[in-house]
Amino acid sequence: MYTSITDRRKFIKKMAILSAMTAAATMFPGILFADEQEEGIPNGANLDWKKAPCRFCGVGCGILVGTENGKAIAVKGDPNSAVNKGLLCVKGYHQTMCIQSKDRLTHALVKKNGQYVKTPLSEALDIVANKMKETIQKHGKDAVAMYTSGQSTIPEGYVASKFMKGAIGTNNLDCNARLCMASAVAGFLTSFGADEPMGCYEDIDHADYFITWGNNMAEMHPVLFSRMLEQKSRRGAKIIDFATRTTRSSTASDRSILFEPQTDLAIANAICYEIINNGWINKSFVEKHCNFSKGLTNMGYGLEDNYKFKDKPSTIDFEAYKKFLEDYTPEKVAKYSKVSVKDIKYLAAIYGDPNKKVVSYWCMGMNQHTRGTWMNNLVYNIHLLTGKISQPGNGPFSLTGQPSACGTAREVGTFTHKLPKGVVTNEKHRRLAAKIWKVPYERIPAKPTYHATEMFRAVDRGDIKFIWTQVTNPLVSLPKTGRYRPAMEKDSCFVVVSDVFPTPTSDVADVILPASWHIEKSGLYGNSERRTQHWDKMVDGPGETTPDAWMTIEVAKRMGYGDLFPYSEENHVEEIYNEYRQFHEGAKHGMAPLEVLKKESGVIWPYVNGKSTQWRFNAKYDPACSNGENFHFYGKPDGKAVIWQRPYEPAPEVPDATYPFWLNTGRVIEHWHTGSMTRRIPVLHKAMPSAYAEFHPEDAKALGIRNGERIKVTSRRGSCILPASINERGLPTKGQVFVPFFDENMMINDVTLDAFCPISKEPDYKKCAVKVEKV
Amino acid sequence: MKKRLGIISLFVLLFVAFIIVWNFSYQTGLEEAYIPITNEVPVLEIPSEKGVFMRSEFALEYLNMPIDEAHQRSLDTYYNNRAYPGAPPSIPHPLLKGERGIGGNACLQCHQNGGFVAKFNAYAPVTPHPGMINCRQCHVSQNTKTLFTATNFAKVHAPKVGINNAFPGSPPMIPHQIQMRENCLACHAGPAAPKEIRVTHPDRINCRQCHVPSDKVVTDIEVFTRTNSNYNE
Amino acid sequence: MPIKSYLAHPHSGKKNELIEALSSIEQCEVVAAQNKDVIILVTETEDTNQETILKEKLDTIGSLKLLAMVSGFNTPQNN
Repeated sequence: MYTSITDRRKFIKKMAILSAMTAAATMFPGILFADEQEEGIPNGANLDWKKAPCRFCGVGCGILVGTENGKAIAVKGDPNSAVNKGLLCVKGYHQTMCIQSKDRLTHALVKKNGQYVKTPLSEALDIVANKMKETIQKHGKDAVAMYTSGQSTIPEGYVASKFMKGAIGTNNLDCNARLCMASAVAGFLTSFGADEPMGCYEDIDHADYFITWGNNMAEMHPVLFSRMLEQKSRRGAKIIDFATRTTRSSTASDRSILFEPQTDLAIANAICYEIINNGWINKSFVEKHCNFSKGLTNMGYGLEDNYKFKDKPSTIDFEAYKKFLEDYTPEKVAKYSKVSVKDIKYLAAIYGDPNKKVVSYWCMGMNQHTRGTWMNNLVYNIHLLTGKISQPGNGPFSLTGQPSACGTAREVGTFTHKLPKGVVTNEKHRRLAAKIWKVPYERIPAKPTYHATEMFRAVDRGDIKFIWTQVTNPLVSLPKTGRYRPAMEKDSCFVVVSDVFPTPTSDVADVILPASWHIEKSGLYGNSERRTQHWDKMVDGPGETTPDAWMTIEVAKRMGYGDLFPYSEENHVEEIYNEYRQFHEGAKHGMAPLEVLKKESGVIWPYVNGKSTQWRFNAKYDPACSNGENFHFYGKPDGKAVIWQRPYEPAPEVPDATYPFWLNTGRVIEHWHTGSMTRRIPVLHKAMPSAYAEFHPEDAKALGIRNGERIKVTSRRGSCILPASINERGLPTKGQVFVPFFDENMMINDVTLDAFCPISKEPDYKKCAVKVEKV
Repeated sequence: MKKRLGIISLFVLLFVAFIIVWNFSYQTGLEEAYIPITNEVPVLEIPSEKGVFMRSEFALEYLNMPIDEAHQRSLDTYYNNRAYPGAPPSIPHPLLKGERGIGGNACLQCHQNGGFVAKFNAYAPVTPHPGMINCRQCHVSQNTKTLFTATNFAKVHAPKVGINNAFPGSPPMIPHQIQMRENCLACHAGPAAPKEIRVTHPDRINCRQCHVPSDKVVTDIEVFTRTNSNYNE
Repeated sequence: MPIKSYLAHPHSGKKNELIEALSSIEQCEVVAAQNKDVIILVTETEDTNQETILKEKLDTIGSLKLLAMVSGFNTPQNN
């Protein structure tokens, strides 16, 4: 993997340096050169460095990729990036190593008589287009679907949306961000009427307290966690870890508080009760800027096919809300949450102290929750009641897991109900989309169709007869894959998978399209803090690999929609972005022009008059505020945020006598999501070669399980055999099993439950009941 | 009359009070002595992780410490008093507290936090596991230079610096086992750290954010292969 | 194409200045010692003529106290 120094001049130069070093060492004993610690590393002087956002998580670190002779051979943190200031994590540093993997998909493969046959790309795209056309003719528009990704670039997501909703005229487009961000979106929309965090990462430099809700940031958002640790050692900022499992983050925190799964709902309400009861409420803020509402309860869990739910919000007054909270005194909540009264009061006191700045961070713990939308609302309640929001160092901050969950899935809107601006149910939004796309307004259907889980249920039922997945690996990442794998294998549905590597999803494909990886194409990503980042193509991909956006365009052209996609192959990224920008014009969501993005390491929207808006809704920073007050929540028609009355409701499946353990799934620092990229990076695979089932030592003792022994984890849906892990990476609470989901050879999602939040439709991967036995 | 009644009732009251108090103290006297049991707080500790942030409170001090070149160690001397890479080092100096010194009374006085020891003209290396105080269970002193009989034991090559990066300039992987040495800063920072492995950025305390172990624990780790695959070309 | 390496000694307290001055010259590559006031300088020029010009340029740097050559190589052109 090291490039040998073939260049004679470089070699001589190195010799010259070495002899000078030797000379210096004789003159100054003990002399130290940085090179001495990096002996053996080829001199990087001739590398060509280009900027990009990192390929992996939603933090959106700036990276610099070093290329030499058309190959990417080094990665370093971009010191100009305000996100990471030059620091990366182990995944980021080694990301480009995966593209040299030997099983890289380099050519289109078409299944003929059960065998994959190497096919010229243009022919494969003909097959895809014909099949799609034929299916629409025979079974209607809603028989074809596209399932994309929070890793799709902004242009990729945009052409997918334009293709499905504008050209074909179906809302059968959803994306894997449904599995990770949907509750955050629903939370933002219900509380503020505008998606995405109001603050930014700079909050870290100002906050006194970081409270992480079910979030192992040391492993999942390590660069941000390092920024927090820096503030901890330099300023004495405090980190409070509030979780169901002891992790590396707990070890680094000032305090770790553990709670019983699902009771976070009750504890958040108890914190609100304490805040009101102790008079810590910021009265003038609440009176000026907040409304109180309640919605439907006992919503169910979406376990049955064709499940439908629509919330009916109704306004309530403060007294009614106060009355509701009486069920959530710390004393009552302590009984079932396994959190002591003292700890609940401690948390409330942090939020309640007007002199302390508090940031709440969360990611999958709160979002992958059958009451995920409620949970998001409840944390907003805490920040709204105390007025700690939209100010440097004060605010709730929802983190993301995918590099463009915000930029593509949420902003471009690759969800069934979304349009690049607004939602399909809104006539004004449909008219705007039709105008920019230059399609008849009637073509965009007003009714959302399938969200992710329901989309694959429809495949199973035979309602969807053609599905095209891009940049995602649903047969590892969906819950209850035991149902959806056979569904995708059925002959009733034609499956097209475009990906970079073979995955369990491409295994069931009828056509596999070879996609370009990250730096083999140009693109744009948007991270969790509303930062849009652009990169240029740096290396050529192998074989016939092609950017996903271009493959979508080629299929659209073959289906006769060429006039809607008048882009050029070389410049399509630029042309598409410029078209897309029109959707977000204005002070509330203005996107930076491409020239600015090319120059700078990311720009935060709203980008107004050449300036990023770091804190939205705060008149001091946000030019879109127009009510003359200090704060203006302009997402809602009356400019007020909503404090929601959301009760505690139990999880759909709780441990019982037959299935006595909670199953919690998650990630590890070395691997990213389904591992299709990171497992092909030798460094990362060697550090974490397989998944494992983590036990509390006392549970392990009771069951007679020793470290490394093979354990079968079984639920009502399926089972999975993994090595036991005791006292290693993490420590689940008693009665809980934790399994990371990256390992396609040990499919824990065969075991998980496909219950979801009725409002956001995001599945809960963190809670179901299992039994364990030795095999 | 009134006065007498008052006095009588006072004595009656006192008598009743006496009986109550006496009974109460008699009854409590019958109970067994006990110490109130406070709620058990579970100890949250992950053995393989707990040491990671152990010395992080000194991170900023490490960062600002000047380097004393005259007294720094090198990897050569570091490996000199270890039988093999990863073996507990032997004690290369006379025992200051004598043969019976243990833990906090002896070794840890210098080896818990380090510092310059004039007597040996060197900085004391910091132990990565100060919680284990029976030091000489594993670390023995060198009392003679000769051997009982000659040996064929050959020292295996210790991990080298500068060759553990996967990419030019990428963070080096951890080429050694970390059991009982989870606390990176103990050996990789401060004046006793061997100069080749002294970290340039001790303030970044979440070490395993960028550096992950590459050394096998028991069996060799093969490259990733898809075993669930039914992929055929 | 001459390639030469030198030890460059800065005036006291002017190490960073010297590093900056040297690295701004195209033909120079700089490796600074981390703990001593000495810098390794490697020069790479097209021919001896340019070499002399570069030498003159180096002489004008104020923060440079002493420049001691350690080794010199010459490689054929276009390689």
